[in-house]
Amino acid sequence: MLPEVNVMAMNAVARDTIFALRRQIAKIEGTLPERLQAPVPGAPAGISNITSETTIIRRGLAVASPDAFLHTGIERLDTALGGGLPGAALSEIHGLETRDAGAVAGFALSLVSLILKEKQGLPILWVGTAEIFHEAGLPYARGLHALFGIEPEQLLFSEAPKLLDALWIAEEAARMTAFAAVILEIRGSPRLLDLTATRRLHARAQNAGRPLLLLRQAGEADPTAAPVRLIVSAAPAANRETVAGPLAGSIGRPAFKVDIGKSRTALPGQFTLEWNPNEHAFAERAENPVAVVPASQRGADPAPASGAVLAFPALGSPAPISPTIGDQPSRQQHPAHRSPRRAG
Amino acid sequence: MISHRDNNTQRIAALDERAEALRLKRGMGIADARAMHPSIDVVEADPEADRRLLEGLADWCDRYTPLVAIDGEDGLFLDVTGCTHLFGGERAMQDEILTRFFQQGFDVRAGLASTPGAAWAAARFHGNRIVAGGEEEALLAPLPLSALRIAPETRALLESVGLRTAGAVMAAPRAPLARRFGATLLLRLDQALGRLDEAVSPRLPVAPLSVERHLAEPVMLTDDIERLISRLAVALKTDLERRGEGARTLALFLFRVDGAVSRIAVGTSRPMREPRLIQRLFHERLTALEQNIDAGFGFDLVRLSVLSAATFDLVQGDLTGEADDDDADIALFADRVRARLGEAAVLKPVVVESHLPERAVKSVPFAEAPQRRAPAAGRTVPRTAPPMTIYPPERPVRLFRSPEPIEVPATEIPEGPPMNFRWRRALYRVARAEGPERIAAEWWRQLPGEEEAPTRDYYRIEDSEGRRYWLYRQGLYSSAPQAAPPRWYMHGVFA
Repeated sequence: MLPEVNVMAMNAVARDTIFALRRQIAKIEGTLPERLQAPVPGAPAGISNITSETTIIRRGLAVASPDAFLHTGIERLDTALGGGLPGAALSEIHGLETRDAGAVAGFALSLVSLILKEKQGLPILWVGTAEIFHEAGLPYARGLHALFGIEPEQLLFSEAPKLLDALWIAEEAARMTAFAAVILEIRGSPRLLDLTATRRLHARAQNAGRPLLLLRQAGEADPTAAPVRLIVSAAPAANRETVAGPLAGSIGRPAFKVDIGKSRTALPGQFTLEWNPNEHAFAERAENPVAVVPASQRGADPAPASGAVLAFPALGSPAPISPTIGDQPSRQQHPAHRSPRRAG
Repeated sequence: MISHRDNNTQRIAALDERAEALRLKRGMGIADARAMHPSIDVVEADPEADRRLLEGLADWCDRYTPLVAIDGEDGLFLDVTGCTHLFGGERAMQDEILTRFFQQGFDVRAGLASTPGAAWAAARFHGNRIVAGGEEEALLAPLPLSALRIAPETRALLESVGLRTAGAVMAAPRAPLARRFGATLLLRLDQALGRLDEAVSPRLPVAPLSVERHLAEPVMLTDDIERLISRLAVALKTDLERRGEGARTLALFLFRVDGAVSRIAVGTSRPMREPRLIQRLFHERLTALEQNIDAGFGFDLVRLSVLSAATFDLVQGDLTGEADDDDADIALFADRVRARLGEAAVLKPVVVESHLPERAVKSVPFAEAPQRRAPAAGRTVPRTAPPMTIYPPERPVRLFRSPEPIEVPATEIPEGPPMNFRWRRALYRVARAEGPERIAAEWWRQLPGEEEAPTRDYYRIEDSEGRRYWLYRQGLYSSAPQAAPPRWYMHGVFA
C-alpha cells in the first residue's frame, strides 16, 4: 500500500505544480477564464486548489465575471470571440485606409453605444491626434446623437498635437472609471505605438475595468498587446425599409464589414453587421443583399442593361446583382495576423 | 553711451561713468561728442528693451511686496507698508534691496518715505535715505523744483518768476499758485507732503492668497519644486478653508537667484483646495514646461498664489469613503490635460440652434462648458431618443473642420448628385445618392450690404465600396454665359 500512496502524493504534487504554472501563464497572458481548466472534481488536493484558483481568477487581470464581456448581440460573432469583446481591455479596431474612418468610427461608436446601455449617463472620451482629426474629420455631436444615442454633453474629445500627448491622455483616461469608454484614434503605424505602449494602455484598461478602443486608420497590423483586433470597413447599406418594401436607391442603416484580425480564441472570420440606430443594436446581414449599382440606374435615361431585362420585377424583389470591384475582398492580409494564437 | 533721436538729431540719452569722466553730458549731440572724443561707443536706445528690463525688475521686486508699480521709464514704486518687519526693519530692507540690485549689476538709488512723492524725491536727490513720517517738508524744502514731479513747462514758468526750490513754492500763497500754474502743482505738493493720499497702482492684481518660502539653498530640480508646491499647498489649504473657498486659478512664482522670475499658472474647472491635487496639476504643467524653465543657478524663493477663488461646496462623503464622484474625477482629469497641453486640450461639444452644420455644434474647452447635469441617484434616466420626424435629417458622424473642395466632372442632371468625383486625388464612383437637402445661409446673420451666401444642396452619397459621404454643391447652375459653375465640397463622413 505504501508505494501506491507515495505515487498518489507525487501525482498530486506534480498536478499542483502544473496548475500553478498554468495559473501563472494565465495571469501573464490575461487569458479568458473559460480556458482555465478547473481541477477535476474529486481529484486529490481539491479544496486548496479550488480556492487558490478562484482567487487567482478574481484577481486575474481579465476579470472573470461574464459581464466583463461586451456582447455585440450577434451570436456568431460573440462565440467566435469567445463570449464577446473583452470589456476591460484594449481592443484594436483597424481601418485599412483613412477613407474608412467613417466606418471605423461608426463601428467603435456602436460598441460604445452598447456599453452605454449598461452604463447610462457616463461620459466617453475620444482622443485623437491633430493629424487624424484633420484627415478624417472631427466627431460631430449631432450625428453621434442621432445614430448612437450619445448625448453631446456625454462626449468629450481631445485633440492632441502629438502622438505622445495622445498616448498620455489615453493612459490617464484609461485608468479612470469615470469614463464609460475611451477611444484613442491614430493614423498609420507610428513607432511610438509599440508593444510597450499598448501594454501600458491594456494594463490600465484592465485595472480600471473599462474598455479602451484603439482606432487605427491606415495602419499596419503591428504586434500590439491588444487581445482582439478587428478590421472594419464599410459595407454598402441596405435600402430603407418603407411600408411598401425596400425603397430602391435609398441608403439605409449603416453597415460594416468586420474581420477578426486577431483573437486569442477565435479563428478569423468575416461578418457584415448592420447598426440599428433606433434600437441601438447590431443585426447581422447576409453578404451584400443590395446590388451595388451605379447612380445612372436611377436616372432619367439609364444605360441599356447588359443581359436579359425582365419586365416589371415584383415589388420588393432585390435588384439584379451586377458584380463590381466592391464585392471582391479588396485587401491582402498578412497570413501571420490570421493566426489565432499569436499573442501581442 | 546710448543715443536717441530727438528733433532729427542724435543726442546722448544715457552714458556710463567713464563717459561722464570725459565731461560728456546727457542731451549733448552725438556729433559734438564724437568730435570731442572720436573713440566713444554709441548704441542706439531701445525703449522696448528698457521697458522689458524694468518689468523684469518689477517682477523680481515682487518678492518684497505684492504692490509694485512701474514709475515712468526708470523707476519702481514698492509699497512696503506692513512688509518691512519681514526683512528686519526699514533700514535692513532697503539695504538688502540695494545690495541685491548691486549684485545683479544695477546702480540703484532708493528712498523710503511715508508718501510716494517724498520717497520719489528722496531716491532721486538724496540717495538711500529713509524719511520718517513728518519730515517730508524738511526733506523737500531745499530741493530744486524737479523734485516735485511737475511738468517741465510748469517748472520753467515757476523758475521764471523766481521760485527755484520746493521750499519757495511751499512758502508762496496757494491761491495765486493754483491760479497761475494749475492745480497739478499743488496736488503734487500736497501728495508729497502727505496732505493728500496718493494711490500707487500696482502692476499686477494682488492675489487674494499667497504663501511663499524663502530658501537658504536655491533649488534647481523639478522634483524639489514639486515637493515645495505640495508643502505650500498645505499651508494654502487652511487659508482657503477659513474663507470657505477653493482655488480656480493658481500661480506659481519662481524667483531665480539672478533676478529672473517665472510665473506658471494653472486653472481648475471647479474650486480646488486639496494639496495633492494642486501638486498634480503643477506636476503636469511643469512637465510640459520642462524645456522652457531655465533654472540657472536655482530658485531661492517659491511662491504659490491663488489668483482667483470661488466658493467651495462641501459635499458629504459616505462612510466608506469610496463614494466616487465621477464628475470631480473628470474635472480633475481635464484640468491636468489642460495644464499640460493648453486650454483647448479637452473639448466638449455644445449644441447650437443653427441650420448650418458647422455652426450647429460648437466645441468649447471643458472648463468653460456648462456643467453636465448629474443623473439623479438611483433613478436611471432613459436615453433621450433622437427627435422623431418622418424624415429625420441624417447627420454624419465626422465633420471636416472646413469643407474640402472636390472635383465633380459630371452630373447626370444639373441639379442632381454627381456620378463620380475626385477627392484628395482619388476617384470615387457614386453608387447611390440621397438628397438634396437644401440648407440656405442664415440671412439673419448676414451683415447689411453683404452678398447673400449661396445655398448648399447636401447629398448623402454611397460610393462603389460602400463608404458613405456627405457632399454639397454650393450655389446653383445658371444658364447665364458668364456664370461660374457651382462648386462641390466634401463636408462629412457617415458611419
